[in-house]
Amino acid sequence: MSETVKQDHAVIGKSVPKIDGREKVTGAARYTADLKFPNMLFGKILTSPFAHARIISIDTSEAEKIPGVRAVITHKDAPTLKYGISPARWDENIFCIDTVKFVGDKVAAVACIDEQTCYKALAAIKVEYEELPAVLDPLHATDEDQPQIHPEFVRNINAEIHQDFGDVEAAFKDAHYVRTDTFVGNRTYQTPIEPHTATSMWDGEKLTVYSSTQSPHYFQYYIAREFGLPMGDVRVLKTYVGGGFGGKLEPTGLEFGGAILAKITGRPVKMFYDRAEMFAHNRGRHRQYMTITSGVDKDGKILGVHADFVMDGGAYTSLGIATAYYAGAMLTLTYEFDNFRFDMLRVYTNLPACGAQRGHGAPQPRYAFEAHLDNIAKDLDIDPMDIRILNARRPNTTTPNEFLVNSCEMKACLEKAREISGWDEKKGNLPKGRGIGVATGSFVSGAGYPIYRTDLPHAAAMIKVGEDGTAATLYTGATDIGQGSDTVLCQMAAEAMGYTYEQMKIVAADTETTPHDFGAYASRQTLMSGAAVKQAGEEVKAQMLEIAAEMLDFPAVDLDIREGKVFSPGNASVTLTFEEVARHFFVNRGPLVGKGSYTPPKLGGKFKGAAVGTSPAYSFAAQVSEVEIDEETGEINVLDVWDVHDCGTVINPALLEAQVHGALFMGLGESIWEEVKFDDKGRILNPNLSEYRIPTAVDMPVVHSALVDSYEPAGPWGVKEVGEGATLPTMGCFRNAIFDAMGVSINSLPLGYEKVWRALKERREEGPAE
Amino acid sequence: MFLPDFDYHAPETLAEACDLVRDLGPSAKVLAGGTDLLIKLKHGLVTPTAVISLKALDELKTITHVPGRGVVIGARATHNDLVNSPLLHERFLSVSEAAHKLANNQVRNRGTVGGNLVNAIPSADLPPILIALDAWITLVGSNTSRTVPLHSFFTGPSCCVIDPVDEILTEIVLPDQQTTGSTYLKFALRRSGALSVTGVAVAVTMDGDTIVDSRICLGAVFPVPVRANDAEDLLRGKTWSDELLAEAGEAASCCALPITDIRGTAEYRLDLVRVLTKRALKRAITEGHV
Repeated sequence: MSETVKQDHAVIGKSVPKIDGREKVTGAARYTADLKFPNMLFGKILTSPFAHARIISIDTSEAEKIPGVRAVITHKDAPTLKYGISPARWDENIFCIDTVKFVGDKVAAVACIDEQTCYKALAAIKVEYEELPAVLDPLHATDEDQPQIHPEFVRNINAEIHQDFGDVEAAFKDAHYVRTDTFVGNRTYQTPIEPHTATSMWDGEKLTVYSSTQSPHYFQYYIAREFGLPMGDVRVLKTYVGGGFGGKLEPTGLEFGGAILAKITGRPVKMFYDRAEMFAHNRGRHRQYMTITSGVDKDGKILGVHADFVMDGGAYTSLGIATAYYAGAMLTLTYEFDNFRFDMLRVYTNLPACGAQRGHGAPQPRYAFEAHLDNIAKDLDIDPMDIRILNARRPNTTTPNEFLVNSCEMKACLEKAREISGWDEKKGNLPKGRGIGVATGSFVSGAGYPIYRTDLPHAAAMIKVGEDGTAATLYTGATDIGQGSDTVLCQMAAEAMGYTYEQMKIVAADTETTPHDFGAYASRQTLMSGAAVKQAGEEVKAQMLEIAAEMLDFPAVDLDIREGKVFSPGNASVTLTFEEVARHFFVNRGPLVGKGSYTPPKLGGKFKGAAVGTSPAYSFAAQVSEVEIDEETGEINVLDVWDVHDCGTVINPALLEAQVHGALFMGLGESIWEEVKFDDKGRILNPNLSEYRIPTAVDMPVVHSALVDSYEPAGPWGVKEVGEGATLPTMGCFRNAIFDAMGVSINSLPLGYEKVWRALKERREEGPAE
Repeated sequence: MFLPDFDYHAPETLAEACDLVRDLGPSAKVLAGGTDLLIKLKHGLVTPTAVISLKALDELKTITHVPGRGVVIGARATHNDLVNSPLLHERFLSVSEAAHKLANNQVRNRGTVGGNLVNAIPSADLPPILIALDAWITLVGSNTSRTVPLHSFFTGPSCCVIDPVDEILTEIVLPDQQTTGSTYLKFALRRSGALSVTGVAVAVTMDGDTIVDSRICLGAVFPVPVRANDAEDLLRGKTWSDELLAEAGEAASCCALPITDIRGTAEYRLDLVRVLTKRALKRAITEGHV
């Protein structure tokens, strides 16, 4: 067991109401699309109707004549500097110059006095294309005869990864049993309920962009870079954000195009995607072909693993180079083995670009590995739970790819899941058509290295106590996109200051008024932003104690502050209110401000790609699910899910449980229904919520969420992540439950009713099993 | 996504509405709940210069029993009116249940039974159960009124026998009948807000364990809702058994001619017809109108 530090907390560890709950529930919360500015124009982007085509000419003259049209722009009006996640793979232009590379690629944009006029103007832009053959099949993208999508990326290879740790071949040679399986992960889309929106405006040479973003800082960095502006002249901020899940982590044509249109017209320009445009812009989950070979000893102990993957990246890199590394890197976390090889080919296709989606690269390989492990367990006649407990990672260990794992209650998670799900009573004893499955997951609590190369701290925070001490404002760049980070960080600030949550205010995610923070991705904010907030709160507290000691003529070391009361643990008569002390401070010393910043320790190995997957701390989770399969129709009915998490100290139990529920909701959809489908021209067949089926409330199973005791030394108060890790086990867990129920393996996502039906039919036709 | 400009009419009487339909001709569209029409308008799939709303015609919203005619459902009754009708609960709960399987609550609050029929989508959820219960409809024109059996109303995807420049569908009638049980089974890829992959409705008339008569109607597996006549013939006059119902399921799938689309392959749909038919029959035989 890890060191468990039981602390007596006043504010954290409690399910305080969300700081923005009332605004959101009453409809008072204003999202980016609700913002209106004087003289605001509306902007829309014209996109490519072809998957691959040469642009011969663009004629905007007719569009410009339409009354109410204020600007029409193409690549001629935009910087030609390419952008993307890393210099080696900057491959995307604001507007296409020579060729369009997917249906939905950005060609031109308009700004008009109203939205209706935008559609008329878009229809009046004449683009002459020469259609080119398109690459639509990722498995053939690297073939010699395939068209070249980016001239500088030969054979459409966007990235090739080869990592080798230990000696996999020797491990296979020594193994009692070696098995290879192939699985296919699927293109899915984040489907945030709020569509992407950005409203851009200029004040002289200063650009302000309101955006529905997960990372104002990253947007600021790339917008400044594109337009050659000092970062100080670009302000990116957000209001409320209705979900991101990785899809709002990088700037889009809405920010870039909006900035140009606003500059030309001298007026604020609001741009937004509709639901179909969101699907076309994509940056969702990659399609992934995953072959995994493992060798185990006679007890099922894993000796070595080889993961050999091909990934359909779509037309651009987006954040996908990180996705490609994550896909293999995160496979080493939940089980201990010494020998690991990872080969990955990320290829370009003429389909929408893929990027980061909740669990970034890890969920599909986790599905593949958990299914593969169940196949091995079945072959060796080992209980799936036992094989996992046998291999479960222990605390204070290092993975073969050199990730340091501090706290880790993988085994305890599995044991608790076994207990609360009734695994031992159910396994092998369920009625016909029912099955039970188990899977694990682990995720970073923030990436060990920044999203782009920089030596900036990962997080910073500032707390300003009000003049009379009745309120304190936390200024943080951390980005609440619905997950509740504003609430959790205010709890942490109040805890560190000795203050109350109810008196906290927050200003967040504004590059001008709040200190730098990389934003909401890689499940980083509770640990990283939280560490900066804790430091800021402690700095306030130290200043408070110092002046309180003067006021009371009492040694500061014998004083403490808790829930707004200054007191001495040893002397009940010594007492002041937080307000009295704070006011006295302001009168005598000026503003009472605390600040903090956080940089993770140097992490990871020296090999190529070693940075991806490093983190100060990792969450661990085990999930058990019970499903019921309709033998004749293949319908999958998920009855119950038991999720047991090791996520360190919990700041807000209600929000944690909400994350588990939300992750399971997404995991359920991805497991069973969700699939972005294309026709043979690369056009999306289901860019809508009718035929791209996310679950509804009535589809949700009963969710049992539990925790194991855990304390993470690298996190403030012992915290770790939960938001993305909870997505990881689900797909494999359902696959394994179906495998248990029916004895058929569904080797591609989504698992789907028809796939189950077909697998059962094929087995019937093959005759009785051996 | 904007509604185009059009003239809007909301006539106060049915006669006035019929006159408008005739006078405005093909340039006009009739608006009931709007759950299909508004989407088509916004996507530019239809471009009428006038829209005639039936919203003021409250007499088309009632669900009543008229002795000698049967249960008369006004064409403007919403799906949720069907879901919540005590009269249907008492006589044909299966119709309420079928309406409840349609779309989601928001659509059920707006969408109307008449609109669902006139829209004539092959996967629509109401036609199979209404046809199984031998429903007929009334089409009223400016100078005419005619009744049409629902099973001969549909002529193809999005096509039906209504005269779009003269007629308005005003009511659906479920005649008084001898049937002892009926049900609609829908197979969709999610529990709510999903179109049918396959739907099967049956109505049976039982005398003890003998199937005196049955009507089986298949949805989403043919250009129009289609009766599974072979299966019906096979059942007539027989004592029911699981084996017999399984045979009927096989026979029903021979009556279907599904397509492969985004929701499922033809092969899958054929097998679903088989499974749903035998299950629907058993349910209607053993549980009544459910």
